[in-house]
Amino acid sequence: MSFGHLPRALRTASFRLAIFYALLFAGSALILGSIVYWTVQTSLKRQMDERINAEIELLRQEFRSEGLQELIREIGERAAYFPVLDYLVVDDKGNRLAGNLPYMPSASGWTDIETEPRAPNPDAERSFHVRSVYLADGIRLAVGDDLEPLEAIERAFLEALGIALLAFLVLSLTGGFVLSMGFLRQVDDITHTAEAIIRGELTSRIPLRETNDNFDRLSRTLNRMLDRIQDLMESLSQVSNDIAHALRTPLGRLRHKLETARLQIRSSPQGLAAVDAAIEETDTILDTFSALLRIAQIEAGTRKAGLKPLDLSALFERVIEAYAAAAEEEGKTLKANVETGLSAVGDRELLVEMAANLLDNAIRHTPAGADIELSLVRKGKKLIASIADNGPGIPAEDRERVFRRFYRLERSASIPGTGLGLALVAAVAELHGIELGAEDNAPGLRIRMIFDAFEPDELRTSTGYVMAINPGARPL
Amino acid sequence: MPELKFKGGNKLFGVMRILVIEDDAETAAYIVEGLSTGGHVADHVSDGRDGLMLATSGSYDALVLDRMLPGLDGLNLLKTLRSAGVKTPVLFLTARGGIDDRVEGLNAGGDDYLTKPFAFSELIARLSALGRRPPLAPVQTTFRVADLEMDLIARKVKRGGKSIDLQPREFRLLEYLLRNAGRVVTRTMLLEQVWEFHFDPKTKIVETHISRLRAKIDRGTDQDLIHTIRGSGYVLRASS
Repeated sequence: MSFGHLPRALRTASFRLAIFYALLFAGSALILGSIVYWTVQTSLKRQMDERINAEIELLRQEFRSEGLQELIREIGERAAYFPVLDYLVVDDKGNRLAGNLPYMPSASGWTDIETEPRAPNPDAERSFHVRSVYLADGIRLAVGDDLEPLEAIERAFLEALGIALLAFLVLSLTGGFVLSMGFLRQVDDITHTAEAIIRGELTSRIPLRETNDNFDRLSRTLNRMLDRIQDLMESLSQVSNDIAHALRTPLGRLRHKLETARLQIRSSPQGLAAVDAAIEETDTILDTFSALLRIAQIEAGTRKAGLKPLDLSALFERVIEAYAAAAEEEGKTLKANVETGLSAVGDRELLVEMAANLLDNAIRHTPAGADIELSLVRKGKKLIASIADNGPGIPAEDRERVFRRFYRLERSASIPGTGLGLALVAAVAELHGIELGAEDNAPGLRIRMIFDAFEPDELRTSTGYVMAINPGARPL
Repeated sequence: MPELKFKGGNKLFGVMRILVIEDDAETAAYIVEGLSTGGHVADHVSDGRDGLMLATSGSYDALVLDRMLPGLDGLNLLKTLRSAGVKTPVLFLTARGGIDDRVEGLNAGGDDYLTKPFAFSELIARLSALGRRPPLAPVQTTFRVADLEMDLIARKVKRGGKSIDLQPREFRLLEYLLRNAGRVVTRTMLLEQVWEFHFDPKTKIVETHISRLRAKIDRGTDQDLIHTIRGSGYVLRASS
């Protein structure tokens, strides 16, 4: 069942539940009504039958003891003074002798008859429940009762049932709608809070209504969970700072000591080489720590608030310009295919670092003579950036894993690096909501990034954004 | 320690008086010792409040300021100092490699930023660049070292009267070297100032551009102007 076209309040779970219960109750009411209706109808009919039977027995005895004339007189009298039942007496030729029933049913026994359809006034058409018997010599007696009162009761009953059902449906659907609206407001509160937290506003909490209902209790519990998450995030960043202090500081001292030692052993070339190697190792460890802390900070999402519209084309051109000479020096060709004037929302520094990391990666993991192409094109509302090379590429099964921390291909073991470059790229992409993927360039690797295009029209809505574009950017 | 002699280049411009505000005794000792060896005068305090008092009263050429300090933290110390009208250049030191930390430090009135641990050569190069920054110099648009000339307005470079054609980024690189002529500039300083890269690329961007610039400036002349200082960076000066 599709609810896609309905207003939001009608699509909620609580409203659907309201409809379900309304239908269920309406169904039960209908069954109950039918049973009552059937019971009332049969009992009314039985009473009618009993009355007619008793009358026929009475008249039959009258006829036996007093004769036909007395019967006719009796019927005339009853029709005149007690017009409860209707009668008809006919002779063997079918001639009406007494009574007012419209005609004599052809067979004896129980039957329902109606006044002739050609009666002048159709509303005056009446139906009768009739029993007819043979008295003697072809004389027949019929006693019937007007069905109209019975049918009126039935009609009134059905009408009442219908109105009750209708009122029930209207009330329960309105109630369901109102309930859903209240439900939606509270769900919206929770959604807004969750979205704020995703944006990095960790102090955001769900407003409470102080009604102490289930929703309030749920909100309170969720808020307590958010407090806990905030605590954890804060202690995580505390741990990061602690790591920075606890490990980077002694490592820094180690580096200082090695530098000092280097000055004191300058007479020994082997000693110098050993100390230089030790300094280099220390720097590698420090680099790894820095990269880990940096990724953790980017993942914490605190930079999200600082995302601004920027000229992505210019940003890519700048990075390409920085790398072109160095790539050439390594015997690799760096080509650019960047459409101009494409904007996206992002953090300039992080996006530059992301593009630089990808180029570092492409240059380091391809043999001399490789072609590397960076492209940025617009496709509808999306900007598609890709960095492609025709080097050895990455096996299909490893393509997702290269974005993990410390994941390195076996054949890259000899190439120096922290194994964190692509993890940082992934963290930056995640922060910006950039769709990131590694693909086969047949041959080689293609890293593809899909940005949401920033529409220049949006500039006019906020002068703050106009100022934000290219803040302090120097000409290339 | 003659190996630190390249810092002696600063002696051309005289001695710097540096105030080091740092609570880690070992780092402080390392900085003070290095500065003294280089012929500079270095005072050290380990408490934020003492640091603020000295910085306000003393006449220092530059401050080395740790971000996390007992008493008064570096950021607030700097804000107080700046609001008191003290314009002494400040180099921030921090153990945090935070992305926002640099911006925060610079916004508070810091002039440069260095993440611990650092090579001493990096610290002294940055201090030299700060300490010699003339406070109210008129905007300089022409530079000259030996027979190398640069005109920022005409965007022209000449060596020995002969015009040299430079790529835009090579021009910016040479401009920065000329602005800091006679002082060592490190690879990191060049990445930050010329390319606005606040991270360490794994590709030899600086080295490649320096070697290309060198080919255009120095090749075919009898005097090299761009010198590589091993383990530190580069310096542009007339050979002595």
